[in-house]
Amino acid sequence: MAFYDGIFKGLGLEGWCGGGASNAPVSMADLLAQSNGDDAASGPAFPFPSLDNLNESCASIVQSRDVTKGIEDGFLAAKPALKTVLDPITQPLSWLLDGALYAFETIPWFIMIPALILLAYWASRSVAVTVFVAFSILALAFVDHYDVAMQTLAIIFVCTGISVALGVPIGIAMSKNDTLQRMVVPILDLLQTLPTFVYLIPLIFLFSVTESKLYGIAIILYAIVPVIRLTDLGIRLVDQDVVEAANAFGMNGRQKLMGVELPLALPNIMAGINQTIMMSLAMVVIASLVSAPGLGVNVLRGIRNLELGVGIVAGIGIVLLAVILDRTSKAALDRVDMARKQR
Amino acid sequence: MTEPKVRIRDLYKIFGAHDKDVLQHVKAGMGKEELLVEHKHVLGLQDINVDMQPGEITVVMGLSGSGKSTLIRHLNRLIEPTAGEIFVDGEDVMKLSEAGLRSLRQERMSMVFQKFALLPHRTVQQNAAMSLRIRGRDETEQANEARKWLDRVGLGGYENHYPNQLSGGMQQRVGIARALTANTDIMLMDEAFSALDPLIRTDMQDLLLELQTELHKSIVFITHDLDEALKLADHLVILKDGAVVQQGEPQGILLNPSDPYIEDFVSDINRARVLRVKSVMTALEENSGIFAKTKYSGDVKATDNLESLIARSGGDTGHIYRVVEGDKPIGQIDMRDLVKALVPRVSSTGGNVVK
Repeated sequence: MAFYDGIFKGLGLEGWCGGGASNAPVSMADLLAQSNGDDAASGPAFPFPSLDNLNESCASIVQSRDVTKGIEDGFLAAKPALKTVLDPITQPLSWLLDGALYAFETIPWFIMIPALILLAYWASRSVAVTVFVAFSILALAFVDHYDVAMQTLAIIFVCTGISVALGVPIGIAMSKNDTLQRMVVPILDLLQTLPTFVYLIPLIFLFSVTESKLYGIAIILYAIVPVIRLTDLGIRLVDQDVVEAANAFGMNGRQKLMGVELPLALPNIMAGINQTIMMSLAMVVIASLVSAPGLGVNVLRGIRNLELGVGIVAGIGIVLLAVILDRTSKAALDRVDMARKQR
Repeated sequence: MTEPKVRIRDLYKIFGAHDKDVLQHVKAGMGKEELLVEHKHVLGLQDINVDMQPGEITVVMGLSGSGKSTLIRHLNRLIEPTAGEIFVDGEDVMKLSEAGLRSLRQERMSMVFQKFALLPHRTVQQNAAMSLRIRGRDETEQANEARKWLDRVGLGGYENHYPNQLSGGMQQRVGIARALTANTDIMLMDEAFSALDPLIRTDMQDLLLELQTELHKSIVFITHDLDEALKLADHLVILKDGAVVQQGEPQGILLNPSDPYIEDFVSDINRARVLRVKSVMTALEENSGIFAKTKYSGDVKATDNLESLIARSGGDTGHIYRVVEGDKPIGQIDMRDLVKALVPRVSSTGGNVVK
């Protein structure tokens, strides 16, 4: 006799419940209780009316395990349709990632390293930063981590590029439309707080683990948030007096966006890009769980096989990459800022 | 009378979500406080009727919150009115399409702002050329026009500086050059000199008057400073709580304030510097014969201010001067009348009333 039998009897729902005899599979907890000689009735005197407890009195009520199963079944049922839509849309991402990885791996080091150092100088215009970048890359190459570091860098370049290309327009649209902002902000909150492993699960179901877009999407979803947020914020923070002047002189929407709002919001947008780079680097390690190549693989090997040295060297490599990316993008940000704060 | 450049008729502005609905209460005579308490709407402007003549400086003066900045923003519809009509060159601004409104803002009205509102990422020259770039003129025209007007406002040589490398006064010169480069008939100046310190403000006022004698634009100037208003105005409009208390020729307002509020206002200013001989003199016909009979201590110009005349007479009230405009005598001024005109009429607080 379960606790809620009386209620279903009283409501006259016995017929609907199928006589009260539960034919649901026995749960492991029940099995253990039975083998210990207890009876289900000897549980708490007044159990919470949860799905499992109600099910004991009325077989027509589903068990909690059916809820999780239902979600799974629902997802699997929608999968073919989702796949037909998402697969072609995201295919270019695979090409981009594969192409970038191929390029970074095949260009010989004596061209690649100077090119990266020049890029760092072009972006930062700072000798100190450039020297640090050169030192870091050479150090990584010296301990034979050049290839994996380049793979990680290739993935970050592609994912950051796509995040900016998508995130800035989304941020602009949000800043222009309060309704859109109210709708998008919860999604951004969700992407930022959802444990990263959680959205790897449905992605694995949708795409095959051998496709590079799987980890590409995971990284972009995680890293796109700051650039959207800061573009929206940056445009909303643009001095309203200047915007009013733009209106008073008859600028149209496009002239205002390109000539006033984006340039004035640039420091904030650059800060967002800096955060996006950092977050895609954080995610590239986790993405190695789903076959992303690079330094993350070595970290994973360190954890799996308890190879302390391998894990630590790869970890330091990631820190070095993080620092050079951060310093270079920060120096670029400062340069943009300085251009208008020079006094 | 010539056709006014800008004509404002029955203009009302109420801030709030249901402005059109509460308008009837305002028209029925509900005040600002009452409206805020009972309907949670803010009364911005009520029943404004102003004509702005071409080639004149119309000064709109009032304290903070009197609605003067709101009023100027109605002229180019940066703020939409609740009710009323605005005509520019006889054309109803309220009926303009979006493109028509943009062309009005580009080609017929330019604006100078209290906080300068220059583009910080553009050079001084690019800022000055802003209006021409918006209109899509070619680069050389932009550069030539911008340089011409920057030179005119005394900023030659600063073309390639950035705005924040300049002082406040210089930044506002860029703001004025930007408005002049637009080459519009109407210039809107929203507290353009209020953020500047007093000496620079005087310089800028002189610059504006000098430009005005040359260019004859129709200028709408907003200020909270009565001295500035009296110095610049051809036509003075005084606002209080969103309504016009008095408007007219500034000397007339000073000598005949219609309202205790304005009397309080004008009681603090240096009347000797502001009042001009013409406003105080006794006008006489050229051939009235009085000129021949009276013995004058000398000739004064109609546009001289009283201060200069006091200095000239050495404080002696026994003199009578002949007033000339050009070469023509138009009246006479007795130093005794002059001294009387210096005493403000203070009826609100009692005391000495001089009529």
